[in-house]
Amino acid sequence: MQRSRKSQTHAGSARIAAAVSFAFVSLVICSTLRAQVPADYFKQNCASCHTIGGGRLTGPDLKNLSERQERDWLVNWMLDPEGTLKSGDPYAVKLQKEARGAVMTRSPGITRSLAVALLDLIDQESQLEKSQFAGTQLSDRPLLQEDIDEGTALFLGQTKLKNGGPSCIGCHTVNSLTGLGGGRLGLNLTRAYARLEGRKGLSAWLLAPPSLTMNPIFTKHPIDEEEVLPLVAFLKNETERDEPANVTAMINFMLYGIGGAVVLLVVFDLLWNRRFRGVRQPMVNESYHN
Amino acid sequence: MDVRSQISMVFHLDKCIGCHTCSIACKNIWTDRKGTEYMWWNNVETKPGTGYPTKWEDQDKYKGGWEKSNGSIKLKSTGKGRIIPNIFHHPHQPSMDDYYEPWTYKYDELFTAPEGTDQPTARPISMVTGKHMDIEAGPNWDDDLSGSPVYAANDPNLKGLTAEQKMQLSAIERLVFFYFPRICNHCLNPGCVASCPSGALHKRGEDGLVLVDQERCRGWRSCIAACPYKKTYYNWQTGKSEKCILCFPRIESGQAPACFHSCVGRIRYLGVLLYDADLIDEVANKPDDELIDAHRAMILNPHDPEVVRAAQSNGVHDEVIKSAQKSPVYKFVKEWGIALPPHIEYRTLPMLFYVPPMLPVMTAMDGNAKKNMTEGLFPDFDKARAPMEFLANLFSGGNTGKMRYALKKQMAVRQYRRAVTVGDISQEAANKMLVEADCSVEQAEGIYNLTSLCTFDDRFVIPPANREEAIQMMRDPLEFKQSVGFGLREEPERGA
Repeated sequence: MQRSRKSQTHAGSARIAAAVSFAFVSLVICSTLRAQVPADYFKQNCASCHTIGGGRLTGPDLKNLSERQERDWLVNWMLDPEGTLKSGDPYAVKLQKEARGAVMTRSPGITRSLAVALLDLIDQESQLEKSQFAGTQLSDRPLLQEDIDEGTALFLGQTKLKNGGPSCIGCHTVNSLTGLGGGRLGLNLTRAYARLEGRKGLSAWLLAPPSLTMNPIFTKHPIDEEEVLPLVAFLKNETERDEPANVTAMINFMLYGIGGAVVLLVVFDLLWNRRFRGVRQPMVNESYHN
Repeated sequence: MDVRSQISMVFHLDKCIGCHTCSIACKNIWTDRKGTEYMWWNNVETKPGTGYPTKWEDQDKYKGGWEKSNGSIKLKSTGKGRIIPNIFHHPHQPSMDDYYEPWTYKYDELFTAPEGTDQPTARPISMVTGKHMDIEAGPNWDDDLSGSPVYAANDPNLKGLTAEQKMQLSAIERLVFFYFPRICNHCLNPGCVASCPSGALHKRGEDGLVLVDQERCRGWRSCIAACPYKKTYYNWQTGKSEKCILCFPRIESGQAPACFHSCVGRIRYLGVLLYDADLIDEVANKPDDELIDAHRAMILNPHDPEVVRAAQSNGVHDEVIKSAQKSPVYKFVKEWGIALPPHIEYRTLPMLFYVPPMLPVMTAMDGNAKKNMTEGLFPDFDKARAPMEFLANLFSGGNTGKMRYALKKQMAVRQYRRAVTVGDISQEAANKMLVEADCSVEQAEGIYNLTSLCTFDDRFVIPPANREEAIQMMRDPLEFKQSVGFGLREEPERGA
């Protein structure tokens, strides 16, 4: 588009003004963002296995991390944990041993600059007396029978999760369930308490589930802190009972599925009995028969 | 009176030579994409024959079109209530076998076959699976083959004929066939539009073309079942339905649609008709034998000042009205009454009309000369090879009176022209025939001219689309005045 010379000059000065103000605004936004993004990221992706000054979960406590390893090593580790481990790095092997075989996963969407920002955040938080990432210090009172009952209700969906998250049974099952059992999309949670190394690890997981499937759902509808303890009690009880998998239930489930499919096919065939069934081939066949 | 304009068509079957040029022109422009291989928006059928898809006229099977029910009409295949339980599985879909499995040939094999005792051949491969296939059917299977015991014998239009008539149709010296080219009829009461759950099909306001909105179509395929002419098709690649668009990009720029333009026999005519949209409901509800007349009565005389006024007040452009006054379609359908709609009994009120074919003279060899078996120069229709009932089933909902009228008038015109140009028929006899056929001398000249001497501009009277005016409803045409034109996209470093 062709404008007159005069309006071009105006447009030029306006453009400079716009650029300056944009730069200023973005500076302000960036400085707040810079603090905000890693903190949120830590909460979503790291806090389920790590605390800063709250003790060990699945992964080690990250307080004063920079005293333990050099920054370059840490960044490489964060970007490619499995690769570092495969290269036989002694410190990585030590970490794995401490975590009883668990390997840190590569967090979704991590970049070199984000890794650096996260390390900065850890350093900052380490200076504080009590970091915001010290982990939720859930009460460590002994777990009672009432807790187990409440947890059972939550797991089965008899009590709805307070923040609207889906009940566990939709995707998970435990061996003690009778009948058809729970969902089979997710893991069997009978030994979840043992897998996540007890109360602390399991609580951290439940507060911010990091798995690819659960994370997007429970970011929007987190499990409430008050619901975590009963669920932990329930899952602990399951691990302690450690019942064998119910084979009959699984076979029944499959048989019901096959039976249901057959019934549906028959129903559909009856329902659409008068459907169009082809004209040309029957016509040709008939003509040759006559 | 709700006067609207409709681009309508006449196919003069007496001139069709069955060359399929129209089908190829259409195929090359519109349906040579992936997913459309099996579609023929324009196809040419041999009649008697079962057509494409096979036996599409058998609505007991295909459930196309409307049927009368409790004083009103309803779609045979679906309805507002019925569409919901059937939305994920429409039960009346033709299968690929009923259309045909599209194929091509592996021409490479002609060159790469190893040396052997036989000629190499290009084997057919399916355009759907890419594998070798045996060709069992095609879109014009048994083309030019009358009397075929499979395809011709199963023509649904043979219903109501006596066993003797049917037998005669396949008797060796009575074999007869004619061609039946088909495109979308751009109906006034289209079943496809009525059935669409997404509202993707619509009848365009300014010229009545029935179109599928490719953005809104969700591929439910109810239009495919509801169209009794089977002229909407499902594109398996895009998951949307497609149909003949009457080449509207060509029409809008003043050109005839590709199939019209390329027609070798010059059988196709195109022009605007003005009709009264208030009557659609009433006409579609008429008993079968009144349908032809009611349908014709909807079409209004574009010379009538009252009609012109009503059209103007309804937003029909003056130039469209002028074009309607010159429409060849109006002459064939309304003035002369020799063009008839195909299968009016489906009640979609098709706007493509056919001038029925004059079927051949009965002859036999007498020594070395061909001898005319009928008295006079032209045959008596009732002794013609194709029974009148057959033609009437096809073009006038079984009404043989309308068919006889159209044929008789054409015959009278031939007699009249024979008297004028050859003179072996007396002028009085010819004039008498004209009177009997309800045809004036002017009409006879008109029919003769538009049938035999018609030029491009006589056949295709395309109304201007007036897009430049239509656009004013959406935006100000002066919006960019002085802001576009010749200039520099980037300022030069020096000068200026």
